[in-house]
Amino acid sequence: MTNGMVLAIIGAALAALLAGIGSAKGVGLVGEAAAGVVSVDPSKFSKVLILQLLPGTQGLYGLLTAIILLSRIGVIGGNAVDLSTSQGWAFLVAALPIAIVGLISGMVQGKTAAAGVGITAKKPEHNGKGIIMAAMVETYAILALLISILMIYNIEV
Amino acid sequence: MSFKKETKYADGVAAVKAMESTLLTAGDIEQLISASTKAEAESLLNAKRGSGEALSLESVWSFLQDYAPDCAELKLLLYKNDFHNLKAALKAVISGKEPERYYLRPTLLELDTLSGILLKKDYPALPEHIRDTAERAYELLTRTMDGQLADSLIDSAAVSTLLNDAERTGNDFMIKYAELTEAAADIKTAYRCSVMGKNTAFLELAVAGGKDLEKDQLISAALSGTESLFEYLDTTPYSEAAALLKRSPVAFEKWCDDAVMELAESARLLSFGSEPLAAYYIAAETGLKNLRILTVCRESGADRETITERMRRLYV
Repeated sequence: MTNGMVLAIIGAALAALLAGIGSAKGVGLVGEAAAGVVSVDPSKFSKVLILQLLPGTQGLYGLLTAIILLSRIGVIGGNAVDLSTSQGWAFLVAALPIAIVGLISGMVQGKTAAAGVGITAKKPEHNGKGIIMAAMVETYAILALLISILMIYNIEV
Repeated sequence: MSFKKETKYADGVAAVKAMESTLLTAGDIEQLISASTKAEAESLLNAKRGSGEALSLESVWSFLQDYAPDCAELKLLLYKNDFHNLKAALKAVISGKEPERYYLRPTLLELDTLSGILLKKDYPALPEHIRDTAERAYELLTRTMDGQLADSLIDSAAVSTLLNDAERTGNDFMIKYAELTEAAADIKTAYRCSVMGKNTAFLELAVAGGKDLEKDQLISAALSGTESLFEYLDTTPYSEAAALLKRSPVAFEKWCDDAVMELAESARLLSFGSEPLAAYYIAAETGLKNLRILTVCRESGADRETITERMRRLYV
């Protein structure tokens, strides 16, 4: 296996790993807040569940990026490409936007969504506002995903 | 600060937000004041309560403990009950009476064994925050048989311990809470001592002193008479409170409670941390206090205006 291949695989691993950690922390935090509300009022379960799902998307974006990257370099499909070191670096760097933004936005979205759980707890009729506010954070994860994918597709192999 | 620390007690805060609807609102109080009979007031309260049990501070504390059993900040809220219970237990030990009916709850003390501990002088069995004070107060009371002096020692120690322990937590909310509690207690004590002509030794024991109210200056002003005391208080951040105290001690008490509620309100918008939990406890405590004031006022035949004037600021 070439050094380039190792670097590209590290990139794929980081995308899945960091974005996944961000999501796990975010979803876990909202889950804690949601459990607090449900322990007092179980009827609010469905409303807080939507908020809990929101920070989970970063992990999916990381997974998607990793799969695309691995298929581009032929690890998925069985035709592994001989990558030069510079190509390997290019793939690694291409994976970084979703890896880093996924980590941070997952945690931040978790905090925003947990605050949204507070809105649902107090004023269930304004649940949608909490969802919208938490969803705004998603924008930046989507932008990072877009950039990562564009870069991965445009690296010459 | 780490993510975990920043987002501490997320479940408790969310649960508290869900429970806020059970707190008395200004509208509820208005309706209770307007209720023409006790039965009507009780029916309003029952309607507010719904199928839930009556709000008590013990149930609020137990609710908070479900989410934050290890929270040192919250425990500070019970110091005043603990020190009050110490006073009750000490007097009971000396007089041989049963202290149970004078105890306040919730408390951090094991009330069933408190009198026994004091009788056996087994002070290490007491929680740390009350240990030294219990020993000193017992010694003072048995030596002088002056209940007022022992009470003053305990009250002053309650405030000093609260201030020190709040500082130790490093939590700004609790530090401010402790400072407000200290200021209210010290101003009240200094005023009473000034009116009653107490001497320096008594004031030294009874006044705790704090950041904004320097102990020596407060004592010296109180010893020079109430006018000097008010002149000194005018130079502190508590000039507004002092002006109210000059007019009426009842207005001053209300100012103190409202200042603590203002602090509680500052934590209402937070989604994490111990502050909203503490604020909820303070809110429940104030709601119950309003109910007590309302009941006493009605029983004494106070008019609507007087009752409204005495109602404390509410959280929701």
